[in-house]
Amino acid sequence: MSGTAKYVWAALLVAVIVHLALVHAVPRVMMNTAIERIGGESFNTWRPAPRVTAESRSIPRPSPDFAYFACAYDLGDGPISIRVAPWPSYWSLSLYAANSDNFFVVDDRETDFDARVTLIRAGTRPPEDAPNLVESPSRRGIALIRRLAPDVASHAAANETARGDICAPMAPPA
Amino acid sequence: MWRRAAAWAAALAVGAALGLASAWAALAFTRGGGAETYGPWSHNRHAGSVAADPYTRAVIAREGLLALSAREALYFNLAEDESGRALDESCIYELSAPRLAARWWSVTLYGADDFLVQNTDHAPSIDASRALTNASGGWRARISPVRGDAANWLSSRNAGRGFTLMLRIYNPEQRFRRSEETLPALTTVSCAGRA
Repeated sequence: MSGTAKYVWAALLVAVIVHLALVHAVPRVMMNTAIERIGGESFNTWRPAPRVTAESRSIPRPSPDFAYFACAYDLGDGPISIRVAPWPSYWSLSLYAANSDNFFVVDDRETDFDARVTLIRAGTRPPEDAPNLVESPSRRGIALIRRLAPDVASHAAANETARGDICAPMAPPA
Repeated sequence: MWRRAAAWAAALAVGAALGLASAWAALAFTRGGGAETYGPWSHNRHAGSVAADPYTRAVIAREGLLALSAREALYFNLAEDESGRALDESCIYELSAPRLAARWWSVTLYGADDFLVQNTDHAPSIDASRALTNASGGWRARISPVRGDAANWLSSRNAGRGFTLMLRIYNPEQRFRRSEETLPALTTVSCAGRA
């Protein structure tokens, strides 16, 4: 290999590695930022998002027609119990892994009343008698409830309904 | 020896810069995932999906973190008019749609920064629960800085140039097909300063 060629090949190799690493990192960094912002100092609890307005700048391209409720979860201490209280219009529960993948979703048409999920880390032993097991590919992630609430009044009502939502560590067996 | 070390350092620095620039370009110029187009609408059926490739995942994360997978919702983006020009506040557009075969839909206008436009018109979005439709479920909407006599209106006031529209289709019916004919059509009605 000539003197110059080896430097050119080295530069190209580094370019490919940096390119792939950055593309790979973008969703993870953005999710980590969102997880930290939502979780704050306490994970595994629902947080209502303020109604989406022109001032909203936390998540790009939010829908102003939904009331959003987010729970940054951490399965480091074991499974999480999630419950979504029913809402008279469209609602859904979606779960996002640390790489931003939407690995689970359930909506109001797929449940009789509310939605109950037991979230565990993929590859760990599931607890006994836990309802509706869902495996998270990552230790941390985000659970998100969308309730269709396109006006101020319905958004306020959605916040009232959200009092019945649960995102909490599963109680240890008695 | 110092010359050789400097040459290696320069090669690594150039490589890193190339990698950084090419990654930025790949994500910056791939709006909406960009995988498929239906008329003026772009769509990526792998948005939010665990089957998404790294580029789709990165673009969607940047433009619409926490998107739902296609099992639940479909997202379509529109950034250009029928002549390929970027959408512009100085123009008046009309969206014309047949009945959308879905449980719920919405069209939302975002500024070039991917957030709602800073105005006080309270008209960033129209949706199936509030839109005025014709007898067959079709609808028209005006996109303009001023409402005028529009039945359905998306305000582009303060949107400048380069704003976008996002169509959300929730729980599409089985017969819903992704095609130019089933999605809203955009027409430029007029532009200030253009003949």
